[in-house]
Amino acid sequence: MVSGMTESVRRVGGVALLAVRASLRTKVVAALLALLTACVLILPGVVKGDGTPEGDLHILLSYTLGFSFGILCLATLWAACALFAAEIDSARMQLSAVKPVRAAEFWAGKWLALLALNAVLLTAVYAAVYVQVRWRVRQNGWAAAECLLSRRVTHPVLPTPREEALQTYQTMRRQNALPKGISEKSVLRALEEKASERYDVVNPGDPMRWRFRLAHPVSLAEPVTVRVKFDTELSTREQVKGVFQLAASAYPERAVEVRLDDFTQNAIEFVVDTRAFADEGAKKGGAVAGAKGQDLESGKGSFREFDLTFQHAGDPKRSSALMLRNRQDVVLLTPGGSFEANLARAALIQGSALALLAAFGLTLSACFSMPVAAFVATVLLMLTLVGNSVVQVVSDEDEKEWQNKVGIAVSRVVHQASGHALKAEPLTALAHGERIDGEVMGSSALWNMVLVPLAIAWAGCAVLRRRELADGD
Amino acid sequence: MEAGNVIETRGLRKTFLDFWRRPVVEAVRGVDLSVRQGEVFGLLGPNGSGKSTTIKMLLGLLHPTAGQISVFGAQPSDTRVKARIGYLPEVSHLHPFLTPRETLMYYASLFGLTHAAARKRTEELLEMVDLGHAANRAVGRFSKGMARRVGLAQALVNAPELLVLDEPTSGLDPIGCREVKDLVHLLAKGGVTVLMTSHLLADVEDVCDRVAILDRGELRAEGRIGDLLRKPDAVRFLVEGLSDEAAVALRSEIEARVGRSVQQDCPSLSLEAFFLQVVASDGRLRTFEMAPFLKGTEKKEVAGGVVHG
Repeated sequence: MVSGMTESVRRVGGVALLAVRASLRTKVVAALLALLTACVLILPGVVKGDGTPEGDLHILLSYTLGFSFGILCLATLWAACALFAAEIDSARMQLSAVKPVRAAEFWAGKWLALLALNAVLLTAVYAAVYVQVRWRVRQNGWAAAECLLSRRVTHPVLPTPREEALQTYQTMRRQNALPKGISEKSVLRALEEKASERYDVVNPGDPMRWRFRLAHPVSLAEPVTVRVKFDTELSTREQVKGVFQLAASAYPERAVEVRLDDFTQNAIEFVVDTRAFADEGAKKGGAVAGAKGQDLESGKGSFREFDLTFQHAGDPKRSSALMLRNRQDVVLLTPGGSFEANLARAALIQGSALALLAAFGLTLSACFSMPVAAFVATVLLMLTLVGNSVVQVVSDEDEKEWQNKVGIAVSRVVHQASGHALKAEPLTALAHGERIDGEVMGSSALWNMVLVPLAIAWAGCAVLRRRELADGD
Repeated sequence: MEAGNVIETRGLRKTFLDFWRRPVVEAVRGVDLSVRQGEVFGLLGPNGSGKSTTIKMLLGLLHPTAGQISVFGAQPSDTRVKARIGYLPEVSHLHPFLTPRETLMYYASLFGLTHAAARKRTEELLEMVDLGHAANRAVGRFSKGMARRVGLAQALVNAPELLVLDEPTSGLDPIGCREVKDLVHLLAKGGVTVLMTSHLLADVEDVCDRVAILDRGELRAEGRIGDLLRKPDAVRFLVEGLSDEAAVALRSEIEARVGRSVQQDCPSLSLEAFFLQVVASDGRLRTFEMAPFLKGTEKKEVAGGVVHG
């Protein structure tokens, strides 16, 4: 048994080594490296940020890594599409197929080779970007602790859109205000979408309040960042004034007050040092002033719940209302590990997506010739992107005709199949200094590197076992 | 399966279909074959007769439309069966970017050999096929003959019990052909069963114990070469040192006895033997040295099958 396993590992290793050698010696990797180098070195010089450290780093992290990942995605998919197909078409597979190698060993060897190549290339890209990030921070004299962030994101405590939709639905039913001829499912879906996207209005002079419950408490002296995004009338933006008050729920009397009179940007961030909650004088001192570093009476010296209040302090005659989506636009950011660890988590998520693409391409390669496999892969990739949009906007009315029904059914299947792969998009969070959760990373790795590839591999191996690998005379 | 048979087919058929699953050509039509352990069996036939199709079905590369195949008493797709077979296709189909050493290491790894064992066999095989000097050059730059030698070496990397050679002398010069035939003789002497196809009937005649002739997918003849080629009503005398006068007298005597004319000629060398005498007089024709691991009688378990090691 052990001997059989060892021999199997040797066979898989042999197949993997051949695939790596093929990539290196046919100059595929060299061409890819040239393309990635151009992307990593030239793109940050061409696409300019807004001059702020955040803007510059955002460009570097989201654009450069995004483009590089896109290149790697296509390269992985098409290379995988060639791996079996080219070997079968050139009849080289005949020599390997008459050896005592199982279809699964061939599949695993080639997949691991792609994984290894992607790991090297992705690491090189991330390392190059990280070096540039560090260089820019040093060159511009930015404070690394303020730019290179990894913060946990906490949204306000609110009922879920589903709960709110159900509540609204019940109210409408009691009031006999439900729309006629539309199914309950459709009404609920519309209400749910409305709830998650709903804008609340803060008129001049009006207050708004949110409560935050942190999954991981912040310790004394750790910074808490409030981020608020809003919409308002562009022409009167400069007239908007507001007062934020942040307090640990256990110490409402020790709220920190932050006055803002610059609303020219539609996203505002301000940092509050939690030491401010330790002292009464903090109230008057503003965001971080007044902190004395005294121990709290809370016992563990940490905070789990916060209350945030906003008071629109603009002149009612000259300034206009603010609009914001409570579920999305107001967040509390708390320290969540190092930037480097966050970068590594993003790399792992992207690596797992590449592993999934490699699996997908390999199985297509076992089914079709290289051009057909590449064509099918590209079409399915596009269908995946379109399918996810279709599922989000489709309603019952769209499903009346059979053509639409088929299209929607296909989109739903594609959405279900690819949902986990697309769910974890790490670059937005990385560029905004938001921590990528270990749970998201683990789920991505489990689905994209284990469960889905296993299912895809099973299909690919079944085809390989049944497929004739030679022509006649 | 009959005892002592390594390969057995019964009613073997192969019909190739087009994209719409319509039959295009019936390449093999009800072939019954038996290859016995330790013999050199030749599969002959003109182009398109179904030789390669039959071989590919025996190796599990093509699936029969009907009929039964048994190799070592099992299905060809069984990995334990594959562990006991060596295969040299008509065209070598090697990876052009690999060197001969890497090629042999790769195929050795597919048999689950340890790195050390694979390395040892690789070096011995390179020595055996006289490619030690070119072991680090990419195979893609080799002549057809050199590539053929690499192909032959990979077919022997597992010390096979059954060696399947599809046109083994194709692309080789007469010296190479002679060496391959010597190798087949040596392997057969060591107990390896050899199944080969060739267009060159002289090659088949030189090395095969039994042959089968396929034509348009059907088996036309099968048997020992001596039996198939024997003319039972003709007799030939070979006498050395006979004078012309004595030859004339003998011929007249025989003609008088049988009542019809008698053919008389002088035995000559085959063209191959003459060629080798001329071009290989300087010792270019090597005495074929089997790789040590192929000579050994010790057996090792490899990938569920038994190979000599």
